[in-house]
Amino acid sequence: MDALNTYFNSYTIVGVFLVIGILLPLVAWGIGALVQPHEPNEEKEKTYESGLDPFHEATVKFHVRYYHIAILFVIFDVETIFLYPWAVAYDKLGLFALIEMLIFVTLLLIGLLYAWKKKVLKWM
Amino acid sequence: MDLQTLLSFHWDTMMPEFIILISATVLSLIDLFIGRSFSRKFFGWASFIAVVAALVSLISLSDHGVTTILNNSYVFDSFSIVFKAILLIGTALVILMAISDKFENIEEVKSEYFYLLMTGLLGAMFMSSSGDLITLFIGLELLSISSYILVAIRKENSKSNEAAMKYIINGSIASAILLFGLSYIYGLTGSTDLAAVQQIVSTLSGTELSGLLGLSFLFIIVGFTFKIAAAPFHMWAPDVYQGASTPVAAFLSVVSKSAGFIIIIRVLLNIYAGAYSPDGQLPLLINMQNYIFTISAITIILGNAVALMQTNIKRMFAYSSVAHAGYILVPLAAVSPLLFENIWFYLLAYTVTNIGAFAVIQYVVSDENNENIEAFRGLYKRKRSMAIALLFFLISLAGIPGTVGFIAKLQIIASALANNPINITIVVIMILGTLVSYFYYFRVIAEMFFKGDRLELQPPKNEIPFNLIVVIGVCVAATIVLGLMPNLALDNFYKLFS
Amino acid sequence: MSSIPASSFLLLAIILFCIGLYGALTKRNTVVVLISIELMLNAANINLVTFSKYGLTPNLTGHIFSLFVMAVAAAEAAVALAILIALYRNKPTILIDEMDDLKH
Repeated sequence: MDALNTYFNSYTIVGVFLVIGILLPLVAWGIGALVQPHEPNEEKEKTYESGLDPFHEATVKFHVRYYHIAILFVIFDVETIFLYPWAVAYDKLGLFALIEMLIFVTLLLIGLLYAWKKKVLKWM
Repeated sequence: MDLQTLLSFHWDTMMPEFIILISATVLSLIDLFIGRSFSRKFFGWASFIAVVAALVSLISLSDHGVTTILNNSYVFDSFSIVFKAILLIGTALVILMAISDKFENIEEVKSEYFYLLMTGLLGAMFMSSSGDLITLFIGLELLSISSYILVAIRKENSKSNEAAMKYIINGSIASAILLFGLSYIYGLTGSTDLAAVQQIVSTLSGTELSGLLGLSFLFIIVGFTFKIAAAPFHMWAPDVYQGASTPVAAFLSVVSKSAGFIIIIRVLLNIYAGAYSPDGQLPLLINMQNYIFTISAITIILGNAVALMQTNIKRMFAYSSVAHAGYILVPLAAVSPLLFENIWFYLLAYTVTNIGAFAVIQYVVSDENNENIEAFRGLYKRKRSMAIALLFFLISLAGIPGTVGFIAKLQIIASALANNPINITIVVIMILGTLVSYFYYFRVIAEMFFKGDRLELQPPKNEIPFNLIVVIGVCVAATIVLGLMPNLALDNFYKLFS
Repeated sequence: MSSIPASSFLLLAIILFCIGLYGALTKRNTVVVLISIELMLNAANINLVTFSKYGLTPNLTGHIFSLFVMAVAAAEAAVALAILIALYRNKPTILIDEMDDLKH
């Protein structure tokens, strides 16, 4: 129980920082809002775009082929989490784990082959 | 683990899974390397042969005895044999249906169709053989992900896409909730092995631990009721059945649902039947019985009531399949001693009748290009054999004597009442639900037999494809034969469990 | 090594799970819903790893389980995004409440 109390007490300083962190911008904005003059005009309301007049939407559409590559990346990237523990403990696991990993990698390769044959990897 | 121990395992008990895995892989490779102009017609038959081969090898293994592989993560016992048989029969019939499934603008079905059905089947088979929470979860996800893609396979059809999107979002949420519950079981017992978990939970007592175990029960039941499409997690079913092509809807309503029940039986009986409730008196499962009871009652009432209002035949069957999930939950809610055989026989009955019905629906819907119930108008005068086959399936689903559906329902009711007279409530709800279901099943029958002017009716444009004749023939035969002689199936069941 | 008690991790997992569930049920944007589902899965992962280190009987199984969960989550996310792309081609929207063709 003592350890728990010490543990929660050590959060006091985090709490103090949190409060200060929230108060600081609030006070700064608050004072700013109180003392500033309020005279809006059209020029001021415009979006700032490096001195030029704004000419297009702020959101940009990416081409769909980025998504294809990203989806493939997500899968193959995550599969490496199985390779990593095997590589770390390679000396202790021995021959069978090697064979097992080869089966796993072969199945992944079939997946890659599938993507390749279906022309997902082609950038066109 | 060295090579010696590994080779000492009985890998031959995994033969059915190996057949499915290897043929799915080989078929996908063949699909990649034969030219585009090459006909993909043989894919369906090849995968049908593979599934039948797996079924044969499963039957030949039936006297093998209980075997476990890899630290209990794979269990081969009589339970897994009988339920795998249902999964394999169901998938074989669905593959036959899929062979003549037409897509818009495309003459032939896609080859992905067949190997995704097989990977889904593989996941379901692993679920029924899993002795470990990890295998169980992986099997569940293999089945789920395959079915998401199967629903989306008509990718030019926006309805199919939308159904798949709804299915995957609902399904992922359900499996995340399930996983959260599983993580608490692991936390309480320090093991994912079902046999070890069963042993450890029987030593856990005290309010907090039992409370946490009860919480994990609620999380897990959410994940499972989604898979079997029981209320209140049935909302995906009508949309997905409507958006997916008919064989996929049949696969979801039969194979996916059976897999859900298999995993429910495995987990509930292994983990919660041995655990103590907070007061330390009864097993936790008895304590939680009210929840299953409520889910079952709501599912029966809601499924049947909403099915009455449907005009789309596939939506109607979706709600009818929701109601059937409610019926199959009755033995669990009543904790009958004959729970295994009741659920198994009902699933078998449901498999043959529902797949048969979907096969007729597939033919009529693609012929008429209309999914409404009016598509069946005057079917008796247009295509007599189809109308009579569908009549058998509908009266079996409704549970009228002489069909397999009647026997299955009778068994559930009888054993629920024999176990404890207090179960009369749920039995009354089930019988009332069945009575309500007569209305919507008979509406289709009336549409087929009594409506439609002979002069206005057009004869069907297409002949019945050979594969659909096989499916419907097998299903009609099974519906009638098992309805008159249910012992043909039950004797085999008892032989395995004795 | 550290004095953080296991209950904090479990609390974090529950909070993360609830945020994920809330997001998955209320957000309109499909991609945000998928992110919320990932949060739920990762909450379960935190649970597993916590129990694996601080549980009643610490062992490695929890780590293994969480590795499998990660792989499954990636596969699920990939399929969901692929379905979203297919959907977007037929009907250019990624807002959940505009996918309502199947309502009758």
